[in-house]
Amino acid sequence: MDENKNKKPQAVVEIIEFGPLKISGNFTLKDIKRDKEESPGEIWLCRCGKSNNKPYCDESHKK
Amino acid sequence: MEKDEKHFSGGKRYRNKDITVYWKPSTCIHASYCYRELIEVFDPSRRPWVDMEGSTTEKIIEVVNLCPTDALTWKYNDEALNEDVRADQYNHVKFRRPELIGSINDTVEETPVSVKVMIDGPVVIKGDFDFINGTTRKEVRDGMISICRCGVSDHQPFCDGRHRKIGFTG
Ligand code: SF4
Ligand code: FES
Ligand code: FES
Repeated sequence: MDENKNKKPQAVVEIIEFGPLKISGNFTLKDIKRDKEESPGEIWLCRCGKSNNKPYCDESHKK
Repeated sequence: MEKDEKHFSGGKRYRNKDITVYWKPSTCIHASYCYRELIEVFDPSRRPWVDMEGSTTEKIIEVVNLCPTDALTWKYNDEALNEDVRADQYNHVKFRRPELIGSINDTVEETPVSVKVMIDGPVVIKGDFDFINGTTRKEVRDGMISICRCGVSDHQPFCDGRHRKIGFTG
């Protein structure tokens, strides 16, 4: 576990209250259902289940 | 092969035509990711609890890779295929149990965080990242979280398996 302490975070994962999940940094996004793989640097993923552009947030959570 | 036997002497193995899944109960933390994701294969209420005919090989590998401990690992039955398994196959014995398959180059330091959008389920995030939830910031190192995408989990922001009950698609 000690060696883990030296590890630098590669990305920041943030829960936006009543909104999406924001991820930024060094990460790969794999969407199994849509068979897509990308490294966008920054994304907002839908957490409300209502987006019409899943897995991304399209602001439907505000409706 | 003999080494293999010894190493898993405390555990069990399950085979289908393509792969063998190793189950080491002593390191299971019962985070239950496996049965949330693939009840057809991993069902703790059944004996034996692993049914290798319950799903496709691809799906079983996908779920075994989600196990945050080394309670579940896998490898191909065809040894030649085990040679060049990709590094994102976390729970392949080559990466979890280097002693089973020769030596392995030492850690790639800047491994990108893996974000996986599961089919009709949560988003699973694995690796070294900072997790901000409200006013708390947690340093997750070599860890995993599973975030609800369907909106109905009782344990927000985490997935608690309810996406199944409501038949979430997305
Ligand atoms: S995912 Fe791994 S640790 Fe969690 S319940 Fe399954 S075997 Fe145990
Ligand atoms: S969280 Fe924004 S559309 Fe679902
Ligand atoms: S995605 Fe699993 S409970 Fe919402």
